[in-house]
Amino acid sequence: MTCIKIVVKQVGKRHKRELRLAPHATIADLLRKLDQNRETIVVRRNGKIVVEEERLSDGDLIEILPIVTGG
Amino acid sequence: MLKCTFCGRRAAYNRRYAGVLLCDRCLIKSVEKRFRRAIAEHKLLSPGERVAVAVSGGKDSIAAMHLLVEHCGRKNCELVAITIDEGIKGYRDQSLPIARENARSLGIEHYVVSFKRTFGATLDQIVRRAKARKTELNPCTYCGVMRRSLLNQAARELGADKLATAHNLDDEVQAIMLNYVRADFSRLHRLGPSYPPREGFVPRIKPLREIPEKEVALYALLRGLEVHLAVCPYTGGIHTEIRDFLNQLEANHPNSKFMILRMFDRLKPQLAQIVPEFEMRRCKNCGEPTSANICKSCELLEGLGLERRQKTLISY
Repeated sequence: MTCIKIVVKQVGKRHKRELRLAPHATIADLLRKLDQNRETIVVRRNGKIVVEEERLSDGDLIEILPIVTGG
Repeated sequence: MLKCTFCGRRAAYNRRYAGVLLCDRCLIKSVEKRFRRAIAEHKLLSPGERVAVAVSGGKDSIAAMHLLVEHCGRKNCELVAITIDEGIKGYRDQSLPIARENARSLGIEHYVVSFKRTFGATLDQIVRRAKARKTELNPCTYCGVMRRSLLNQAARELGADKLATAHNLDDEVQAIMLNYVRADFSRLHRLGPSYPPREGFVPRIKPLREIPEKEVALYALLRGLEVHLAVCPYTGGIHTEIRDFLNQLEANHPNSKFMILRMFDRLKPQLAQIVPEFEMRRCKNCGEPTSANICKSCELLEGLGLERRQKTLISY
């Protein structure tokens, strides 16, 4: 089974990362892999805010915006 | 593509604690409805009142200001905005123009009160002094106490009937847990959707108290509001540990934050019986209301060899 390739941009960090994930992986799977708590971020998939249960597709650009900013 | 439970459009948010998916439009409508419900249920605002809103430029306060301006328009209330410039280099200097620009675009009078002008030192300088003097107090202690004091003073000087802050569900639940951990009955008892009027204090209201932080962020982003999303450089300590714990709890057990809030709201009337009433006095140094001889801000300033420089705060 071939993997899918996606690009992840974490807002506030300089570099984008390219990641390989299993086919049918969801955004929630990606967040677990990155050790990101869904309560503290918003995810944009190819520019659109989406739910974490959406399945990823090959070539997706995923932006992760941290929303917990205060002290 | 996952669809909105209510209208079938593409879902933007999974409200797991309620078992529903929401699209951008339904999320915006839902947040606005909860905001209006909080105001009605807790009688936070009355028609014709003058309301001061505390605006930092972050997502919560910008969302609160936009929600309030629409509400105030309907209820014939007057809205003014106050920003406290603590003087945090690389942070507040970036959010302040965003606060100002949002207020300008909404046609709201905007006032800035600075630590530097009032206390003679920015928060950055205060933190350096505190380190040099080994006070072992966390930057959030100085910032929280002094910011609250200045907000109250500024709201009073502006003749506000209410002071609205943008505390969301997460902020409130974190405060509940923090006061549990510290066994601080007095501060715990003061939490709630509003704080009753007392001499010298402008009554505070928290219309976002029952809206989770993530939903407030989504509201601001989905409405395309300009907000400052950077992280405060002084974030840390027990506040952050409690926040991370609660977020983990919510991720594993959705609805935990609401349950903590509901439990607290039911317990609150009992707390009134064990928290003693205290006599309100005037601070000997600055004249601000306090339960002691000098207020907490002046006490912290004294510990750093500083004092309030000016009593009238307002500047543009």
